[in-house]
Amino acid sequence: MIELESVRYGYPHTKNDAIKDVTLKVGQGTCVMVTGPSGAGKTTLCLAAAGILAHEYGGRKGGTVTIDGRNVNEFKDLSELASRIGVVFDDPDAQLIFTTVEEEILSALERRGLSADEIEERLRTVMEITHLSALKDRAPHTLSGGQKQRVVLATTLALGTDILILDEPTSELDEHGTTSILGILKDLKARGRTILLVEHKFQRMQEIVDTLIVMEGGSIRAKGQPADLLGDPGIRQIVVPDFAGIRQNGRAAGAGPVPVISLDRLSHSYGDIPALTDVSLSISPGEFVAIVGENGSGKTTLIKHFNGLLRPTAGTVSVRGKDTSGATITELAHDVGLVFQNPDHMFFADTVRDEVAFGPANLGIQDLETVIDRALGKVRLLPAKGLYPRWLSRGERQRLAIACVVAMNPAIIVLDEPTTGLDGKEAREVMEVLKDLQLEGHTVIIVTHSKEIARDVADRVVTMERGRVISDQAVPEGS
Amino acid sequence: MTEILQYVHKDGLFHRMAPVTKILFVVVISAISIFSIRIPFLIAVLIGLLLLAYLGNVLSELFRQFVLLVVMGIIMLALAVITLPNGETIGYLVPQGVPVIGGIVPVTTGGISLGIIMALRFAVLVLAVQIFVISTQPRDLVHTLERMRVPIDFTLMFVIALRFIPTLQIEGTRIQEAQLARGYNPGKGFIGKVRSLVPIMVPLVSNALVRANTLGLTIDMRGYRTRKRTVLRERVLRSADKAAIFLIAAGFILFIWLYLAKAV
Repeated sequence: MIELESVRYGYPHTKNDAIKDVTLKVGQGTCVMVTGPSGAGKTTLCLAAAGILAHEYGGRKGGTVTIDGRNVNEFKDLSELASRIGVVFDDPDAQLIFTTVEEEILSALERRGLSADEIEERLRTVMEITHLSALKDRAPHTLSGGQKQRVVLATTLALGTDILILDEPTSELDEHGTTSILGILKDLKARGRTILLVEHKFQRMQEIVDTLIVMEGGSIRAKGQPADLLGDPGIRQIVVPDFAGIRQNGRAAGAGPVPVISLDRLSHSYGDIPALTDVSLSISPGEFVAIVGENGSGKTTLIKHFNGLLRPTAGTVSVRGKDTSGATITELAHDVGLVFQNPDHMFFADTVRDEVAFGPANLGIQDLETVIDRALGKVRLLPAKGLYPRWLSRGERQRLAIACVVAMNPAIIVLDEPTTGLDGKEAREVMEVLKDLQLEGHTVIIVTHSKEIARDVADRVVTMERGRVISDQAVPEGS
Repeated sequence: MTEILQYVHKDGLFHRMAPVTKILFVVVISAISIFSIRIPFLIAVLIGLLLLAYLGNVLSELFRQFVLLVVMGIIMLALAVITLPNGETIGYLVPQGVPVIGGIVPVTTGGISLGIIMALRFAVLVLAVQIFVISTQPRDLVHTLERMRVPIDFTLMFVIALRFIPTLQIEGTRIQEAQLARGYNPGKGFIGKVRSLVPIMVPLVSNALVRANTLGLTIDMRGYRTRKRTVLRERVLRSADKAAIFLIAAGFILFIWLYLAKAV
């Protein structure tokens, strides 16, 4: 059981507290799910509940945190805290230290004062629960996101604690990966574990959630049984992504004579491994296309061909009527803007303004200040112009990444998973921005795991499986 | 992607050896290659290492670094020729016929042989360490060094540095792709590499720093720095290890004897 009583915390060198007056209780054997916009203090709440803030962080602290009735300050160190609680942080890569899956799990087991037999037994059980037996000799960098997340979960389970704290364990996972984590959590709850879960995917997780907490601006905005809270429309829009009505705002004027992107029997292999096979696709100007499919189905490989980051092993790619085989990536960047899944892979400048200026300056676009202001206005980030990009919340960083590409004014804007790590409201805001861009005449192509986006926003849904397009459907008008 | 300095899970001579045997092997090979100044002897050590790698089923992994070794070898040779002229002059890098600058940078026999010795030493050192890293599970290494009373912080630092090489390689590629997609064209060659530093290195380092925080918490929560370890799946010294240690020791004594007799 975890109890937080009027907990307050401010990071060193910051003015505002990251969490304010938070009181909550995670009862024995229950699952409490915390959700809310990025920057609401959810991760800080996890660190507070785990006792990590008390032991490892400076800054301004207040209130009390108890684990099974014992104040976290009374624990000697993190290692002692870890005998009661297990924490899964949001970046799986940062939690994998060794070079095989089995070593990783053993590393969590061998310093807990167990006998060798007990360790072998627990290793077997944990690998069974997390379905990792077949992967035991694999190196972390060869695993998919979902597999890595399962390994991290396994090492945390190996600690054998009754309480689990998980910070967005499924944010980068596809449908299949999320289902697999949900299955494991369901199993753990049935075994009586206490779970504090930070998540955005309430609809997927609702069957295990007893109490829902919605955070905003560092405080608890609402707390209670999910059914009661969702009656409030303000809460509902944060918890449940709802893109209804976005498509009805208008559709692109019919297909033009020349497709903006045309793929003819495109194939691509990484060494001997085929990633795309015989993909033919034609995208018209002004379309809003969603590309869906499981991890590893070839979606990202496909979109990297649009701007020349990858070149076909066989077949051709044409952008605005021109074969791309002779064009450089810089030339193609005039026509195709690509926003990657993780915005942190692009930010290097000291201010939001300089970050946005980078792309258009590279392309020699004139009148930079107007271009920058327009792009920032479009993603509603003008007030943040002078800030350091990495200080922004995840939702703001995602919109900044879009602004960086919009400022280059490409005819085609391609986005890889633009709603990763965002709550329902933020995801809707991003989709509204993209819809506006479409209405201005841009062609928008997004890769997404979200069924709702494919259903409620896109004009056309292309489904991929094992490197092939298995379905390509226009969404009927007015649906 | 080429994976550098990573443990490779397979079966072979070196994989079956205990880490302590391999540490001794690396230390002795390093000492031999540093002390010896005879080219034929160093070539023999290099061939011997490659032969052992072949027998140990790790030759294909070693050959991935072949280009690096050749390039570094050429650089060392050039540096030695340019900076350490010694012995008989057999020619000039700039031919004597060239006006004004003709005849500068003499190529000497001493410079060449020193360059070859350095290149061979480098190759032997790199290959020996590679064989060790490819065939030793980091967990076994941590245990062995712990028993040798090396502080756990240093050991983890070493293991984690190795573990994150491929992760950083992958991340670096992603960052580069993101910047290229923003029309970034650093240009080719050396100047291009230097210009690409800020937009690539700043995100790479910033992300790594964030990750380091989580990594630190993870290590502490697993009790790595505070708790005693249960002895489990220990790599005991088997008879093959003992035989290998005997051979390594005998080889080293033989080397010292030959070295003192100025034969190697």
